[in-house]
Amino acid sequence: MGYLSTICVLSCINIVAVLGLAILTGYTGLFSIGHAGFMAVGAYASAILYMHFGVPFYLALVLGGFAAGLSSLIIGYPAFRGAGKLRGDYFAIATLGFGEAVRLLLNTTYKYVGGAYGLTEIPGLTTLPVALGVAFLALIGAHNLMRSEHGKNCLAVGQDEVAAQMMGVNLFTTKLKALFISAFYAGVAGGLFGFYMTYLSPSNFGIGKSSDLLAAVVFGGMQSLIGPVITAFLLVGIPELLRFLLDWRLVIYGILFVVVMVYRPQGMLGYREMNFRWLWAAIRWLKPGKPKQAN
Amino acid sequence: MEKHDAAKASPNVLEFKGVSVQFGGVRAVNNVDLTLARGEFLGLIGPNGAGKTTLLNLISGAMPPTSGEILFNGQSIVGISPDRLCHLGISRTFQNIRLFPKMTVFENVALGLHARPNYSLTDALFCTPRSIRREKQNIERANGLLDLVGLSAYAKKHAGDLSYGLQRRLELVRAMATDPQLLLLDEPAAGMNEDECGNLTKLIRSIHQEFGFGVILIEHHIQVVMELCRESRIYVMNLGEILASGTPMEIQNDTKVINAYLGEKRTTNGRTRRQISRNC
Repeated sequence: MGYLSTICVLSCINIVAVLGLAILTGYTGLFSIGHAGFMAVGAYASAILYMHFGVPFYLALVLGGFAAGLSSLIIGYPAFRGAGKLRGDYFAIATLGFGEAVRLLLNTTYKYVGGAYGLTEIPGLTTLPVALGVAFLALIGAHNLMRSEHGKNCLAVGQDEVAAQMMGVNLFTTKLKALFISAFYAGVAGGLFGFYMTYLSPSNFGIGKSSDLLAAVVFGGMQSLIGPVITAFLLVGIPELLRFLLDWRLVIYGILFVVVMVYRPQGMLGYREMNFRWLWAAIRWLKPGKPKQAN
Repeated sequence: MEKHDAAKASPNVLEFKGVSVQFGGVRAVNNVDLTLARGEFLGLIGPNGAGKTTLLNLISGAMPPTSGEILFNGQSIVGISPDRLCHLGISRTFQNIRLFPKMTVFENVALGLHARPNYSLTDALFCTPRSIRREKQNIERANGLLDLVGLSAYAKKHAGDLSYGLQRRLELVRAMATDPQLLLLDEPAAGMNEDECGNLTKLIRSIHQEFGFGVILIEHHIQVVMELCRESRIYVMNLGEILASGTPMEIQNDTKVINAYLGEKRTTNGRTRRQISRNC
């Protein structure tokens, strides 16, 4: 049971982080390969706030998210501003630099964060219900945001920047908003992670973690929330299922990606918006007494 | 409402004063003067590479002029970003269609209504009554616009799945959603057959009469231009300069225009004149 619940908790944490990246990459079209950096900021911030400043657990999680969000402005502000704005791959490289900078900074700072030794003795407050609850709230929040005017503006920027600007969308604030929200999600996920592992080390937040998150989004599908959520879950689960294959699982992992890239370049559930219409339809179908509505 | 205060200040919506654009050694636009009165319908024609689209890009803020001044409602708009210009009341369509292909037809139009969001991020996050109310207003207005151009049946389709003619139509109505005072149409009839051209002409005319905004129309279908600018003026551009301006009749009889279109050596006989009006 403990094993299964570990997988579930880690999946939930992964889902929260991937939802954030789905907003940035899947919807706004900005690739980030440094999201582990935002996770690290959130994780360390919430753990330190809880342990040294006596901030309550949930508030510490939210504040950790905000810390990550604010740290994203360090990179977002110069990257999106004015004539020197970074497009596409260049922005991705900038985030890569940010992620590595955060990791190295944590690695060499021994005061407060413990440097390469890591931050220890964090209480294990992330239980399965907490993780499930946060993941659920994160999903609802992301759904609401992406359905709103703000979300539609992000979507427009992701599809055609020039046309979006001509339609009156302010590219700078829209992209910055998307990055902030995305980093906030990553920060909360990092916080959950710290309170689950009870131990934080900079090596948890390397480029491997960032690329895992990005893979979940690309694999799950562009412009979709439910796709990345499912893959975030699978990407934690499948390696566990394939554990008996030892190192061969990495090969299978790789083959899986190649297959998806070749046969479904838009991702598993690309361009499928999450909705619960099927659920209502099922309920209606199960209650034959009620008159069926025509579509 | 900055829009309406400014509107009273000047009789002209748009004014060009000696505007030039230079790309390296090429003068794409050379010392152009142009005025557009409130609600006027202006046609802009000329051979390929004459600088028509560059002129539109200048107005919509996509590029700055090398020299000269552009006034919108009496205020200089040089250096203002396209999104700000859009909120000031300038809207445009594109020569090569630039819709948001993976957004629905409805979402494409609604974007013009909320490019500047009407409620805050927290409203959006918690789906507050305020956000729901504003969304309802958007839905009403967007559906009204879609009805106007006969696209309501396609509201839930992805814009990229529409036929070419309908995409053109959608781009037109999307540009109108921002409530412009000046609409820039860059070859709205490109690639259309005569029937479609006729429908589009009627649509543009009725929209212009109903909403009363100024329009600058670039078009290669001469018949479309002649029909739409019947009671107003046409500017002819060639090699970055305004070659001539006047009513459709004046333009059709202008020697310089005919030379630009058909080559220097032709003389102005009846036959060449018919040729321009048929298919240039």
